[in-house]
Amino acid sequence: MEAPDEELMLAYRDGDAGAFETLYARHRGALYRFVLRSLKDRAVAEELFQEAWIRVIEARGRYAPSATFTTWLYTIAHNLLVDHWRKKGLALVSLESDDVPVESANPVRQIEGRESLARLLRALEALPPVQREAFLLHEEAGLNVAEIAAATGSNEEAAKSRLRYAMAKLKAAVDE
Amino acid sequence: MSDDSKLSQRYRELPREEPPRALDDAILAASRRAVEARPAPLVVPTGRRRWYFPVAAAAVIVLAVAVVVHVEREQPDTEILAPSTTVLETPPAPAAQEPKVEEPKAEAPKRLRKQASPGFTPDPRADSAASAPAAPAPAAPPAAQAERNEAMGAVAGARESSRDERRSAQMARSSVAPSPEAELERIARLRAAGRHEEADKALAEFRKRYPDYRLSEETKAKVEKPQ
Repeated sequence: MEAPDEELMLAYRDGDAGAFETLYARHRGALYRFVLRSLKDRAVAEELFQEAWIRVIEARGRYAPSATFTTWLYTIAHNLLVDHWRKKGLALVSLESDDVPVESANPVRQIEGRESLARLLRALEALPPVQREAFLLHEEAGLNVAEIAAATGSNEEAAKSRLRYAMAKLKAAVDE
Repeated sequence: MSDDSKLSQRYRELPREEPPRALDDAILAASRRAVEARPAPLVVPTGRRRWYFPVAAAAVIVLAVAVVVHVEREQPDTEILAPSTTVLETPPAPAAQEPKVEEPKAEAPKRLRKQASPGFTPDPRADSAASAPAAPAPAAPPAAQAERNEAMGAVAGARESSRDERRSAQMARSSVAPSPEAELERIARLRAAGRHEEADKALAEFRKRYPDYRLSEETKAKVEKPQ
């Protein structure tokens, strides 16, 4: 049985560097995509991604598992994004890669699938930042509404509303 | 399959981008460095707040330079304090240089006051501003400075010959004080002028300063009070 994130973080706080490596391996991809798809600039996304982990490292001494590690990690990332948006203004995401993998070998379905994913990307890009963030926290970090509210510093009603609106728009885009 | 699940599935068909390897390495290296440098700080500067590391370093450098400069300024004054007794022992200037006999007496208290003041105002430049009320008026800086320079010169001579104290004292006397012969001549002139009281005082001072000086009979006749 795998050790929970919180246990690993406490072990890292107490000097176990290997615990951090496990923790990092679990969350690196999702956090990276969350930041990357929230921002326009890949270089900035990488900078914020690194900064989020550096903050985790530096805050280890005062880490207390009052919330899940995931919520804590994405709260840090959210704060960094808010700082970034405040500096730059609310930027819409622009996903750089259109190289979308498809499952089917059927050319028609490939085209349909490619078009569907392209629409999804465009719709995600077009979402208001708070709705996009709620959706990404749900999809990438696996947070529920309460955890999204905690990570973004909002109430549950607002988080639920943002997530619902985001999903409705994205579904509409996929089903077009 | 619900609409939410379908959307999630479609979303997961998007490219699963991963952080570059170099980024992974940098973060993991930072995590290992942090563990090596335990204990974890309670308040750690991060991100844009890291500016204060260079500021703190600059402040330390400025402080160090200020301390060095301060210490360098302090050193000359400590040298002055040590030899002050030498200056106090400096006898009055020879009569040849001072037409009036009263002048050395007036000069002595002035020097005493000047010796007292450096103890409280180590910086010579602060003399005029911070000297005690009894200190001489700061309106005579050239004379005061000349005296100070003279004293410092004597001090320097004394310090160089500090290995042999007797020799040092002789050198200090020869460089600052008038020779015993010159002093005797001055006393003889006072005696000849009938200023016996001053001559007695000067002779007593001479004997105190040169206890081992042998007066010839001829000199005795000139400087001692006639019976």
